[in-house]
Order: sequence, then structure tokens, then C-alpha cells
Amino acid sequence: MTSQSRVDHPPRIADWLLSLFALTGSDTIIGDLHEEFSLQLSKSGSATARRWYWRQTLKTVAHLVRISARTHPWLTAFAVLAGFLLRRILAPLIDPAMFALLERIQLFDRHFDAYRFLASTGIDLAHLVAFLMVGFVVAFVATEAEIVATTILAMIYAAMAIFASAYVVSKTVDTAMLWRLTWYFADSCAIVVAGVMVRSQRITHMSRPSNT
Amino acid sequence: MADRGYLGEFEHIILLALLRLEDRAYGVTVRQEIEQRTRREVSIGAVYATLDRLEAKGYVTSYLGDPTPERGGRSKRFFRVTANGLTAASRTHRAFQSMAEGLRFTRSFA
Repeated sequence: MTSQSRVDHPPRIADWLLSLFALTGSDTIIGDLHEEFSLQLSKSGSATARRWYWRQTLKTVAHLVRISARTHPWLTAFAVLAGFLLRRILAPLIDPAMFALLERIQLFDRHFDAYRFLASTGIDLAHLVAFLMVGFVVAFVATEAEIVATTILAMIYAAMAIFASAYVVSKTVDTAMLWRLTWYFADSCAIVVAGVMVRSQRITHMSRPSNT
Repeated sequence: MADRGYLGEFEHIILLALLRLEDRAYGVTVRQEIEQRTRREVSIGAVYATLDRLEAKGYVTSYLGDPTPERGGRSKRFFRVTANGLTAASRTHRAFQSMAEGLRFTRSFA
């Protein structure tokens, strides 16, 4: 696709976002926005049309989030709580499990660099995978509100990480702690990624019967 | 069961737009009609959220039109006001008129 034809089309990421958040009828909404985008394009040019499209998309997504939270408030709250509790159960098991594994394969004596990597970054990666699993569970429990539920849980963890880091840095004056924030934010992102994956899978299943 | 509910402000505006547009009422035209007449920017998400709510209340019905190329092969969803919707719009309008009767808006808000 040429760059000219790309600017003449509505942003694909915006369409993807809309299809992700709309419980039903995303095709009609996207169709309406495409139609108006063509009008904006011929009237005001590509840049204005794309700005208009993004503004409409973000406002629409905000509406869809509100509707989703309002439609399933208890289920969303339950899914978030379940994810929070699951994470509390899993978290203390990860470090001992990783060290037991390293002990078992006796990496300390044979490949010290690999041991050092797995004992530090490896544990962080294991936590990331645990967050991804928590995200999957939350998304499955929340059914149609999977994006809202996983986003709420991710925001709770991100807020906790920011407050905890600020507290530790203010007490110890050790700014190295701030670098840990990148991992904590990655953990939060993993939850949302799981929600997006489950949602995409659900959209594929929902659209399948209409194609036949 | 007799429905004695009143419409919310935006629900009322949407129903009036549908009545104006008659058989041309779908997302794009409804949004544009409201923007032109009220001079406020409305998102397509707000329009559909309200239309879905009105449909659940039985005030509007919808049906899908034919797919068109400028919409990327997607169908238009047309809306029509039901008899209950017309009654609700009329009741809400009368309530507004009754509440506004005798008030001098030009002096108070100009």
C-alpha cells in the first residue's frame, strides 16, 4: 500500500480499537465513521479528516467503556477482585519455584552467567507471565467486559507501583528503584494484553457464523 | 403496562432528529442533524449508545440497509420512531413547554 493511499484511508488502529471496545454493532459504527471520513477528506483534506476520525474514535471508545462498565458492574468488580486475589496467591510462589528450578538444573556451577540472568531477569519474566495468566483469568471471568476489567486491574497495579516506588525512593533516596517501574508497568501491560487477546478471539468467534 | 416515563435530554434530541429525518435516519445523518441544529459536537458513540437505549425501551426500531463501498462494504443501520417513542417525545415536549411557560429566557440568560 502506498503512503498516499494510506492517508486516504481511516487509521486502521482506530478501527481496531473500536472493534475491540464495541460489544456488538462495531461494523455499523465503523461504517458510519468511514462514510463521514470520506466527506471530511474531500472537504478539509487528509490531516483534518484523520484528526476528526481519531477524535470521534476516542470519544466513542470512552462511551463504550462507560456502557460496558454499566452493563456488567458486578461481574466486572468480581473479575477484578478474582484477578487481584489470584495474583496474591501466585506471587509468593514464583521466586521459590524459580530458585528450585535453578537448583535442580545446577546452573550455578555450570553456567554462572545464565544463572545470574535467570535469577534476576528470569524471575521478572516469570512474574510477567504470571500477570499475563491473571489477565487471561480476569478476561474469561468478565466475559464481554474483558477489556474494561483487565484495564481496571492494570491501572490498580500501576497506581500501586507508582505509590510504592515513590514511598521507597522518599525513604531511601535510592532512585534505582524508579527503574523497577518499567517492569511494574510491563506487568500491568501484560494484564491488558491478555484482555485484548481474549477479546480478539471472542470477536473472531462471534463473526464466524455471519460469514457462512 | 402504560409507560409514563420521560425522556432524557439527549434521548429527546435523538428522537426529534429521527422524526425530522424520517426514512433517512441512520448514524451519520442523525449525528450531522444534531450537530447542525444544536451546534455542539456529538460523537457517533454517544448517538449509538442512546439509540440502543431507546431501542431497548421500545421507542425506536432499527433495520439494516444495503452495504455501500464508501462504508467499506458495511451496512447502514436505519432507525424509526415507534408509536411509544412518539408518545414519549410528545409527553416530554409538553412537560418542557409547561415548565418553561411564562419564563422570560431572554432577560435571564441573554
